[in-house]
Amino acid sequence: MKIYISGGAKNGKSMFAQEIAKKLSSEGHLWYLATMEPRDNEDDARVFRHRKERAGWGFKTAEWGRNIASHSKEFDCKGTYLVDSVTALLSNEMFGGMSGEINKPAAEKVANELLAFSDAVENVVFVSDNIFCDAAFYDEWTDSYREGLAKVDRLVAEKCDVVAEFSCNQIIFYKGAELV
Amino acid sequence: MELIIGGAFQGKTAFAKENFGISEEEIFVCNKDSAPEFDKKCITHIERFSFWCVEHGFEPVDYFFEHTKNIEDKIIISDDISCGVVPIDKTERAWREANGRILIKLSKEAEHVTRIFCGLSQRLK
Repeated sequence: MKIYISGGAKNGKSMFAQEIAKKLSSEGHLWYLATMEPRDNEDDARVFRHRKERAGWGFKTAEWGRNIASHSKEFDCKGTYLVDSVTALLSNEMFGGMSGEINKPAAEKVANELLAFSDAVENVVFVSDNIFCDAAFYDEWTDSYREGLAKVDRLVAEKCDVVAEFSCNQIIFYKGAELV
Repeated sequence: MELIIGGAFQGKTAFAKENFGISEEEIFVCNKDSAPEFDKKCITHIERFSFWCVEHGFEPVDYFFEHTKNIEDKIIISDDISCGVVPIDKTERAWREANGRILIKLSKEAEHVTRIFCGLSQRLK
């Protein structure tokens, strides 16, 4: 089963994602795919907090911050993966190059790699972020990123069995409500 | 009238094209720098029209209803700009509220209100 979850910050996405991943997984095949590449103390503290929250759940951790396809030999075909998060993965791919330029085609690459990964494993719970509903005019970098993330969201969500949004710890289904 | 809302880049126009058979020629895309023309069947980016109104001293609700014929046949699309932090800039604050007012009015008049998220639709009305 493939599940796509998005929503605003601190609305209950992660806890739900952990619970549903745990429920779907078979013994010894529960994975946390961490995509954030820690850059400073704040990131380190976040990683520490997340690890603490997951402790005792039985997650094994894969730290793949970019080029998901390059890890294809490590994909666990019986695995249930919680991908946290699509947002961080795209950010690494779009802005993480040495050139200091925006890598605009990154969105399509990320979507394709996530879909191939999704096809190769048993279950995936993707976590993304709804960054699309505020009143602001952004610079080119930020707006390219928003457009890119929306593209990944749409391309991957289209192939998922369940798509849901979280708001105030409530779940709003766009498809597949009957499956979870 | 159909009202379609949702976050930026979520697939609202694609939804209108697919579900209401709208072609490119039937779409008017509002912008924040010039007066709109509301004679086409589908009007997108109402939030940009709202910004233009705020900068030019118009109330979007009044302007829209005074300048639009056959409202009942229209397909109206707006970005949802209602979340996020209250903008620091005074014009942007007024803009966000003005867009909220016109969407409330449009949603009352609309036969259906649809929200698009990740390219998928949810019927709100």
